[in-house]
Amino acid sequence: MLELRKDIFADERDDNLKEIGKGTQRQDMLGHVTGTSTYFDDHKLQGMLHLKVLRSAHPHARLRRIDTSEADRAPGVRRIIRGSDVPRNLNTLLSLINFGKDDEPTLAVDKVRYKGEPIVAVVADSPLEAFEAIAKIRVDYEPLPAVFDVEEALKPGAPVVNETYPKNTFTYHERYDHQKLRFGDVERGFAESDHVLEQRYQMSPIEHAPTETNGSIAAPDTNGRYVVYTSTQALFFSLDTCAKILDVPSNTFHFIGGTVGGGFGGKVDTLTEPLAILGAMLTGRPVRYVLGREEEMQYGPPRGAERIFIKDGVKRDGRIVARKITAYFDSGAYTRLSSYAVVKCAAHLPGPYTIPNVYGDIYCVFTNRTPATAMRGFGVTGMDFAIECQMDKLAHLVGIDPMEFRIINAYRDGDMKAHRREAKNTALIECVQVAADKAKWPLREEFKRMSSRKEGGGARAEIPPTPREPVASRPAPAQQRTSYDRGIAMPASEQRPVAPPPPPAPPSPPAAPSHGATRFSSVFGTRRR
Amino acid sequence: MPVTVKTFASTSEVAAALSSDRSARYLGGGTLVMRALNEGDISIATIVRAADTTLTRIDASSSRVVIGAGVTFARILAERDLAFLHAPARSIGGPAVRNMGTVGGNLFAPVPYGDFTVALLALDAVVSVHGGLGVRDIAIEEFLQSRERHGGTLVLSVSCARPASADAFRYRKIARIKPKGGSIITLAAHLPSGGGRINGARIALGSMAPVPIRAKAAERALDGRSLDGTAISAAAAAVTEGISPADNALASGWYRREIAGVHLRRLLSGQE
Repeated sequence: MLELRKDIFADERDDNLKEIGKGTQRQDMLGHVTGTSTYFDDHKLQGMLHLKVLRSAHPHARLRRIDTSEADRAPGVRRIIRGSDVPRNLNTLLSLINFGKDDEPTLAVDKVRYKGEPIVAVVADSPLEAFEAIAKIRVDYEPLPAVFDVEEALKPGAPVVNETYPKNTFTYHERYDHQKLRFGDVERGFAESDHVLEQRYQMSPIEHAPTETNGSIAAPDTNGRYVVYTSTQALFFSLDTCAKILDVPSNTFHFIGGTVGGGFGGKVDTLTEPLAILGAMLTGRPVRYVLGREEEMQYGPPRGAERIFIKDGVKRDGRIVARKITAYFDSGAYTRLSSYAVVKCAAHLPGPYTIPNVYGDIYCVFTNRTPATAMRGFGVTGMDFAIECQMDKLAHLVGIDPMEFRIINAYRDGDMKAHRREAKNTALIECVQVAADKAKWPLREEFKRMSSRKEGGGARAEIPPTPREPVASRPAPAQQRTSYDRGIAMPASEQRPVAPPPPPAPPSPPAAPSHGATRFSSVFGTRRR
Repeated sequence: MPVTVKTFASTSEVAAALSSDRSARYLGGGTLVMRALNEGDISIATIVRAADTTLTRIDASSSRVVIGAGVTFARILAERDLAFLHAPARSIGGPAVRNMGTVGGNLFAPVPYGDFTVALLALDAVVSVHGGLGVRDIAIEEFLQSRERHGGTLVLSVSCARPASADAFRYRKIARIKPKGGSIITLAAHLPSGGGRINGARIALGSMAPVPIRAKAAERALDGRSLDGTAISAAAAAVTEGISPADNALASGWYRREIAGVHLRRLLSGQE
């Protein structure tokens, strides 16, 4: 059970809550329905200027020359900002917790890596004058070959998207090109299985589509400080990111947020604040930078696409004995938060099931697509979709009711999870029972009586012998079915991803970064287990 | 340069202002022009408006219906005599867009918008235009083919014959998001009949080309025949003949071609 230190956090939580079944007013609802909630864009400041950015017309191109001379003379233009004006024009969001290398400029300098990447910012008296000046900027592009597919990006000779990561993969622990999970021996598990099923799943990027687009207003304050009204959903995270990019102490800024017009993860990337503040620094005037709707939809970061291969070995009685997962997370052109999504995914495998042999390789891959970011359970949601589709197919394959099939394989209290933590507070069995009851789905009596608190642990709590070196595939017994007859049968040789040879396993592969995990919690609102 | 707003009392003054200034844009309900301005469209320097009430007039008393270009979709929905146009009017935007969006503006709405115009095309509407040389009537098909050139003119009204029966005019908009999604494909069919046979079928498609177009092969498959399974199958099979829809964020051109016949079949056979 989660323990709350009442001696320290006496007022933190009311233990006598009786809210379920009652109509409770949300604390911010009155302001929303009466139109009195204050958003960042409700501040019209004296002498406020407007910032707009010129975006790349190409997904991958070298920038030969940027000519702003005509735009400089355009009416209403106060300042043109280029990459060389940004004090530290290279950053990665999670550098604040020492995770990843700086790989993304605020304004592109030598080349652009995705269509829509900001190149030049124009600060003008009105949004229209800023747009008119942008139309006068001439950029001489040298288009480069682009790569949009995660597996293509890993092939030898693929275009290098981001020179910080020349292999087109994020680097973990300064050596590894993917996150690895090894628990037991999947190859032995497959050999002992009655059926083996391998499937490919593809997730698309998903846009958060907030009602309020990303934006901020920065205004000079006294003592060389700046007030920043912002839509961010991660106020201090954005503040520290700006302090780093603008190379000033973080107490230079007074960030005011609070009311976010829809975030869902799409407002942690600190897209607008650095340039709005820099504009205020360079002009001495308040500067407003708001994404338009098309900018938000097209160039605002989405939930990343994922390609997932799952190979499962299952016994006739419904027990899954081996699960092998290879996944490629499409980070787009820059890291943002996809590196962390991969870590979360590795810790989540093989889903809420106890499987004695688990194998996972998860890659954070760079492509010439819009950088991806956080969104509601990113790293887990897409994988769960694939796993649960796979569970239905497996249940069909062995002829077992899909609800009961999940109960058979559900983890229970005391079981060892694949990342070597004991399962606690498990409740999948109870969830399935309630869902079946609500849906009037018939469960057999023995499955209705099962419990997450019984029959876990024991042999299920042991860490199985795990081979260090890759084991050669063993020939499958003749009776195995290897294709799934409801879907399109794909020959395994064709769909097998082309991956670089895996590096040797680290002595004790950590599934999650041990440093800074508490600050992750404060940033993303997730709770450490 | 700031955008200038000019309001004129008469439509002829508006027409003169539009024809003399290429950067002038007529503002009807603003659902297209204000969006363009907010998104940074710098081709608009002047906004022209008209205070002339003739633009908002509806004449639905006779067999030929005349609708002013400034009539909103909300007003069409409030007009009992225009019941045959309620389905297309209701398929446009949400309540806010229907309150502001106008029939005239819809003629210029780019894909995936412009659903009302699809209905007007199937009804063989006539567009009344005030250009540099005065007022003239243009068949809607001709108007749409040369739509880009009509930017410098003012649309005054559209008119069409009232369908003979409620069953003679059918309309359907296919969207992924209901009720406010953009069109994947919009279909309208006018099926005048005499003696049990269709005579002068009109089938119009939206989102299958840059402007609404007629599916003439499907029309030919219906003409002179009764609306039975054979004729419907022939029309469904021919619906994409000579049509090559484009890809956009809502659907691929391939998908549009695949589903066009399916939805035409449902429309003609009265299936949900």
